[in-house]
Amino acid sequence: MSKLFITGSEAAALGAKLARIEVLAYYPITPAFPAMERLSKYIEDGELNARFIRAESDHSALAAVLGGSLAGARCYTVTNSQGLLLMTEVVYHTAGLRQPVVMGVANRALSAPHSRFPEHGDAVSQDASGWIQLFCENNQDVLDNTIQAFRLAEELRTPVMVNYEGYIQSHTLEEVAAPDQAGADAFLPLVRRPALDVERPQGVNTVTSPEFYPSYKYSQNEAALKALTLIPAIAAAYNRSFAAASCGLLEAYRMEEAEHAVVAMGSVVATSRILVDELRKQGKKIGLIKVQTWRPFPAEALLRLLQNVRYTTVLDKNIIFGVGGALANDLKAAAYGRLHTVINGAILGLGGSPCGAREIKEALEQTEKSEGGGNRSVWIGSDPPAGGTKR
Amino acid sequence: MTDSANTAEELFGQGHAGCKGCGAAIAGRQAMAALGRRTIITVPASCMATLGGGNTQTTWRTPFYHTLFECAPAVASGIRAALDIQGVKDVNVVSWGGDAGSADIGFQSLTGAAERQEHMIHVLYDNEMYMNTGGQTGSQTPLYAITTNGALGKKVRKKNMPAIMEAHGIDYVASANIAFPADLIAKFQKAAAKEGFSYIHILAPCHRGWGIKPDQTVDIARRATECGLWELYELDQGRRTRTYEPGLTPVADYLRAQGRFRNLTDAETAEYQAYVDAHYGGWGGKN
Repeated sequence: MSKLFITGSEAAALGAKLARIEVLAYYPITPAFPAMERLSKYIEDGELNARFIRAESDHSALAAVLGGSLAGARCYTVTNSQGLLLMTEVVYHTAGLRQPVVMGVANRALSAPHSRFPEHGDAVSQDASGWIQLFCENNQDVLDNTIQAFRLAEELRTPVMVNYEGYIQSHTLEEVAAPDQAGADAFLPLVRRPALDVERPQGVNTVTSPEFYPSYKYSQNEAALKALTLIPAIAAAYNRSFAAASCGLLEAYRMEEAEHAVVAMGSVVATSRILVDELRKQGKKIGLIKVQTWRPFPAEALLRLLQNVRYTTVLDKNIIFGVGGALANDLKAAAYGRLHTVINGAILGLGGSPCGAREIKEALEQTEKSEGGGNRSVWIGSDPPAGGTKR
Repeated sequence: MTDSANTAEELFGQGHAGCKGCGAAIAGRQAMAALGRRTIITVPASCMATLGGGNTQTTWRTPFYHTLFECAPAVASGIRAALDIQGVKDVNVVSWGGDAGSADIGFQSLTGAAERQEHMIHVLYDNEMYMNTGGQTGSQTPLYAITTNGALGKKVRKKNMPAIMEAHGIDYVASANIAFPADLIAKFQKAAAKEGFSYIHILAPCHRGWGIKPDQTVDIARRATECGLWELYELDQGRRTRTYEPGLTPVADYLRAQGRFRNLTDAETAEYQAYVDAHYGGWGGKN
């Protein structure tokens, strides 16, 4: 292990390097590009033995790494926002083909209106794609999750997306403890399972009739469900190997005797920790649940933690129009008939708007005021247009 | 063409889901005689993709992957990269698109892979309309041809794909025609020996779209080359060679035999003839 002072972009690139990726393809986009440049530099400097495909679009970038994966190589790409949307067709296709591609996503708001700032809207748009989606609280998570993602993807034969936020993580330096190469190699043995192999020719993605199609989808769903047990097991193995503290599905922080729980994913978890500490000091029984694995959704693990909680505030840096935040929506669906807690969803931090302790505190207050008012979403820190209501 | 191609094992088409008299299937069979077993084929959405396999069956005896529509050359680039990193040097990597998957919706990934000089072959099998969706107009549909969404005939000319690919400065560009199998096979053999990017554009009629009978597929294809509308040539490292000298029969012999040109006027036929006369041998008339 070595201590480094690196950005999230560098952590993502380092994770892919430690995984000894063999095929890399990307199409530059902001704010993912520093991770891309770092990976290209590793290759040019001879520190990483990988083939780089200078794709002419994001769609082709994922298509190229998919081709590499089908031919048996360990593959990686990075993108965000519009790039991820352009890739979407290939995102779904890659999951359907059960290829263990790993992709970093430097989360950024979606156009329109144009924004280059952090938000989870891009990741949420891939909700039903069949990819495992991990969210990172900090740069340590970016490194840890990227390395684990390869093992998870390859054991499950399912692609994994590692989400870290643009700028807040991609461009911000933090201290990160990194495994050494020998340790990473031991953690990630390379087992090739090429689908396209001249020694064992087969047709891939042939036209599939209704009698066969559902069984493919069933097995995809089974793999997603299996991830709920595999992710904690891989995290435990990783923590043992590298004296790390990777949380796997989720982490309960100061949830002992909590009456109010904050549920969040991504960088806002880090801010929430500080606020929870502060409120605990003031005697408030409040705790935090960090959702690191969003797809598949760790419903049972979450419900166990929320059994005795009176209020739950879910922080969403995304909005599904006419519905609310994705994480709140997931939790409400999981909790139906099983929890007595008030679940209040807060939409905040859209397009890089403020989501500091003040905004989170306002969300908590809204939740405690809303008892009896039903489960709803509140917008925090955004001024509604004239005549609009702040709901 | 080498003798080995004449006696090659059949790697494609031992039972396929194409129509009787399918030009695309003929092209596939001929190409595989040159490419051989150590070939990975990627085919984007097209008739060729759907006729290549269903459920647990495939008509290819080589690895075959039915890709998404826009990206077969990108996928092929990734396959080549994966083979390289594993030290595999003797496998042909081929993307095989229709006119849509190569010249239109698939053009971006094609030009990208060609510009990168990827070590691969891209094939455009050209039936000159979007036949897998029933026969709509595309950029490879010729002037005045009637399609299922263009009853009045196409108003503009076919985009010259071999010329566009030539402009990439790639190793090898060739036109081919299913009616000239020896020529086609020889071109695939040349392309397979290249270290960089090769492009082969095969005229492969679709009798349904063209308004001809299934048993006319090869005959009509031959007429396209005989009349000068489908010149057979190659650009080997930029050096242009015509690979077949036709008799240059009247274009009317080709056009009038097809239902898709049934509304062609004498003036339009004459316009076609004048075009061939002016441009046979390359744009600007190098005949």
